[in-house]
Amino acid sequence: MNYVKQVYLKEVREMLRDKRTRSMAFFGPIFMMILFVCGFGSILGSVSKTQNQTIHVLKTENPLTQLLEKAFKVVYVENEQAGEELIRKGDAKVFLAFGAQTTGGQLDIDAYFDPKAQGAQIVLSQVSGIIETANKKALEQTLTSSGLPATAAEPVKLVKKEVQIGEKGAGEFIVSMLPYLIVIWAFYGGFSMATDLVAGEKEKATLETLLISPVTRTQIVLGKFFALASLCLASSVSSLIGFMLVSLLKLPGTSFLLKGGLGITPTAAIVTILVLLPTVAMFAACLLSFSTYAKNAREAQSYISLASFVVVVPAAFSQLIGLTDAANQGWVNFVPVLNTANNIRNALLGKPDWIGTAITVTISGLIAALLLVVVVRLFNREEVLTRV
Amino acid sequence: MVSTQDIAKHFVDAKGNRVKAVDGVSFEASPGKIFGLLGCNGAGKTTTLRILSTVIKPTAGRATVAGYDVVDHPEKVRASIGFMSTSTALYGRLQAKEVIEYFGQLFGLEGQRLKERVAYVMDKLQIHEFGDRLCDKLSTGQKQRVNIARTILHDPPVLFFDEPTAGLDVVVSQTVMEFIEEARDMGKTIIFSTHIMSEAERLCDQISVIHEGTIRGSGTVQQLKEQTREVTLEKAFLKLVEFESSYQREAEVTA
Repeated sequence: MNYVKQVYLKEVREMLRDKRTRSMAFFGPIFMMILFVCGFGSILGSVSKTQNQTIHVLKTENPLTQLLEKAFKVVYVENEQAGEELIRKGDAKVFLAFGAQTTGGQLDIDAYFDPKAQGAQIVLSQVSGIIETANKKALEQTLTSSGLPATAAEPVKLVKKEVQIGEKGAGEFIVSMLPYLIVIWAFYGGFSMATDLVAGEKEKATLETLLISPVTRTQIVLGKFFALASLCLASSVSSLIGFMLVSLLKLPGTSFLLKGGLGITPTAAIVTILVLLPTVAMFAACLLSFSTYAKNAREAQSYISLASFVVVVPAAFSQLIGLTDAANQGWVNFVPVLNTANNIRNALLGKPDWIGTAITVTISGLIAALLLVVVVRLFNREEVLTRV
Repeated sequence: MVSTQDIAKHFVDAKGNRVKAVDGVSFEASPGKIFGLLGCNGAGKTTTLRILSTVIKPTAGRATVAGYDVVDHPEKVRASIGFMSTSTALYGRLQAKEVIEYFGQLFGLEGQRLKERVAYVMDKLQIHEFGDRLCDKLSTGQKQRVNIARTILHDPPVLFFDEPTAGLDVVVSQTVMEFIEEARDMGKTIIFSTHIMSEAERLCDQISVIHEGTIRGSGTVQQLKEQTREVTLEKAFLKLVEFESSYQREAEVTA
């Protein structure tokens, strides 16, 4: 065990002295998380405010425009053709052309927009909301003046009641993104160092001296494995630190995304650590197996780049899982990587699934153990030195 | 003491052909003597030393190092040897002293004994002046001194040197050779592989000429010259490896 510790300490020391590893595993996740939350928060916060939106309206005397002016920045356009042209050129999101009032008293407003433009759809839904409210008010006035109750305008009313599960916390957007980022950084954090650990040693000709020491190859592998797993874990934790920093420093954009605070309850933290530990072990063993098999660092990088898709795809699916019923289905716990992200997600939502967590820990742990056996076997082959 | 009996190492190359890197090599090296393995590049010197240092297993034959069989007791063999080569590098992101300490720990040294040995080799090889410098920043000569320190730190009875002066300048080569002579005088068993005749002549008490994986001749420098009836070791070596110059070939064709 002492030899494993010596190899571990030496690898950690080297990792901490390597600029590339420091930036990839420590500063990278923190910086990216800050950039991500601030960037998305600022954009989404800005889009959700109608005051920040501009709409184009055909010049008209209609009093409804005063209502629109209160909500939007309104730009008046001389004729319909000019308005349509603005949409075509992408210079306007929505162009409203007020028509003549029909004999029935209905006013038609033609709303021109590009259906492919997401921004236009957001503005259009905001305009629809304002017109719906105005319609409702007008109907209530008509009913009241006719001696009918205003509630007759809405014979059936849907009353929304939010049920608070767990503590008030981060919104769905953060809940779907955070598990993905935590899992992804656990893999990418170890990327740069993994190639150095065996393939790099082979290339730099330091491996032979290590193999000539009395330490067994299994002990060498274990020392390197624990060092890499520590790096993967540190990288993942760094992304969480970045997330916490964003909230603590109240950086721009956080007020929109983190309205309810961080949302990381002690239970969520425990579940996150529980599922993360075997996952980083699995990633470390996987990365190390490629590094051990490869002839040199470059070949190892190619293998790991390909393998990263196997991690990214299920992790990315965890962002969309909330749109389906799969998030609460048992089979998800048997899909590596996805199970980790989904368990973190459920815990952040205040719905920890302890059985799912236990299955996830077991599955990831088993895969990690299996991969570690593969690494030990690969490292014990003569080709670890002679395959150059 | 190092002894090999008909050791062989066969590989299968990328095309599926069987390659005999070493084929029936036998020799014995004794304490206080330098045994030279003289051969061209690709002759089988490094493969032989790798078998003896237990990094690879022999396909056939038997070898013992310091009394331990290389197949049955690889850990004990490795604990008894020091291995140095110019192709083996140092960890660039570790300081010179850290590298020495690390290998000391891997060879089972700890506590006061480790401190004493580190201080001893650093004094002996004058490493103190650059001991806290990263290995990446060291000159070739300084790196080689650290390499020597790493090799002798655990005071092994057997030392292997695989072309230890290849690519080094004359001053650094001199340091390495003086170190090997000193180790011999301390009673170490030394196996020295080289293709440089002057080094073999200067250092080796016994030489085996290895070519295409087989031993082509063995003995002292004088015995090799007598066996081949040549006046220089270089010519004796060329005869043993059946080297034919293009000038000779042309002369034969003309005749």
